[in-house]
Amino acid sequence: MPLLAYIDPGSGSMLLQVLLAGVLAVPFFFRRMISDGWHRIRGDRTVVKPSEGGEDATTDR
Amino acid sequence: MDPASFRDPSGFVYRRDGILYRQVQPSAADDWEAFTSGGLYRALVADRLIVEHADAPLDAAALPGAVGVIRPRAIETISYPYEWCFSQLKEAALLTLELQSRALDAGMRLKDASAYNIQLDAGRPILIDSLSFERADATEPWPAYRQFCEHFLAPLALIAHRDARCGLMLRDFIDGIPLDFAARLLPGRTRFNLGLSAHLHLHARAQRRAAHDPAPPEGSTRPARKISETGQRALLDSLRRTVAGLRWEPESHWAGYAGATSYSEAGTASKGEIVREMLATIGGATAWDVGANTGAYSALAADAGYRVVAWDQDAASVEAHWRRVRGDGNPAILPLICDLANPSPAIGWGLEERASLFDRGQPDVILALALVHHLAIGNNVPLPGVAGLFARMAPRAIVEFVPKEDPMTRRLLAARRDIFEGYSIEGFREAFGGPYRIIRETPVTDSPRTLFLLERR
Repeated sequence: MPLLAYIDPGSGSMLLQVLLAGVLAVPFFFRRMISDGWHRIRGDRTVVKPSEGGEDATTDR
Repeated sequence: MDPASFRDPSGFVYRRDGILYRQVQPSAADDWEAFTSGGLYRALVADRLIVEHADAPLDAAALPGAVGVIRPRAIETISYPYEWCFSQLKEAALLTLELQSRALDAGMRLKDASAYNIQLDAGRPILIDSLSFERADATEPWPAYRQFCEHFLAPLALIAHRDARCGLMLRDFIDGIPLDFAARLLPGRTRFNLGLSAHLHLHARAQRRAAHDPAPPEGSTRPARKISETGQRALLDSLRRTVAGLRWEPESHWAGYAGATSYSEAGTASKGEIVREMLATIGGATAWDVGANTGAYSALAADAGYRVVAWDQDAASVEAHWRRVRGDGNPAILPLICDLANPSPAIGWGLEERASLFDRGQPDVILALALVHHLAIGNNVPLPGVAGLFARMAPRAIVEFVPKEDPMTRRLLAARRDIFEGYSIEGFREAFGGPYRIIRETPVTDSPRTLFLLERR
């Protein structure tokens, strides 16, 4: 089913996401692997979830 | 119906007998069920990321056909992105990305990324649109990506890399800063920032190219494009890193103003004591500190039990103030940007979508300390005009009169002809005596200034 949103997602914006997702996925995948591995080596019980953004989830919040 | 609530067909907000309701429409039934029963809503409430609601009976619906009616907790002071300082906008952006991330974990997504869906509540940003989530396949691109970049990333980048006053452009662009415009305004060096280069500069180019695409044949839509789930997460992570990497340090004449007043130590202590007594006499619950600077007297009002909105026209002062009170710093105070000589107007569709400053409720009292000389002499507003505006804003006021012999007023007059004949304490009494009764008039020790406690007639 085609994606239909109530706001205009913009066809240029959708196309760019396809491109960026492809490019960014590779370093992201390896960074996550390294981060998970590091947490396992340190014996952390919980592996950081992707939603927490890996090792540098620090924000100003 | 709330005039800002027309865009999303899945529901709308309305008030009845002063109570805020949100009606859920049939088209959103399955998404609403998934959001409220699937655990995402409860988890977000537990972490104070979304405003909580109580269920209301279906017969409280405003229109027929409701599949749900809720009573969301109302936010006391509604503020808009063009009134936020850099960190407030940045925290709202990071909250939006966190919500999208948590939604993806739960098999859902944020269907929009409007900055107007976020409010500042007790020192934190919070999502107020309970109907922002829909079930989604993580391999579909995020429909709100463009909106996120326009509402958050573009203004944040402009503030961080160009000028803090760029935040005010959101008043003109209610749908966010157009990306081609942001790309033109940003310095060339931002092209070497990976995130800004991708999400703003390249994004603007992609939009420009797509504008020339032919319309799809009648009755069809463009084919769906897919991305990998890792790609989806990577994109979100990249947005988060880009936003988190934007920095702006408040430096301005005004942010250092509190330490550069004409007051002696005794004068400061006396002024504080008088303001404290006046606030206690009023015994109110809410105060607007107008021209609050970095909030010395907002803190005093908060200590006296008031919930305070601290307005100032200077982004650096508001930024410095917010950094001090945010989180658990002092949740009773909300610093916001507003120039009282040109306050936030009503904007948007029919001039009703976003309310003007004066249509967003009235506090019990306004504090106008060391402000009148800026309005009367800095802006040439006659004193009766200042009195009239204050009286329109709140039933009571604590106003400081700064006479011409005060060094701060002398500075305002240094390079100009003194055309302000009526600017004297007698003129003040006469002007403010129109809309107000003068309850108390107390001179500040060791200073030529006088504080007035006023009550609207």
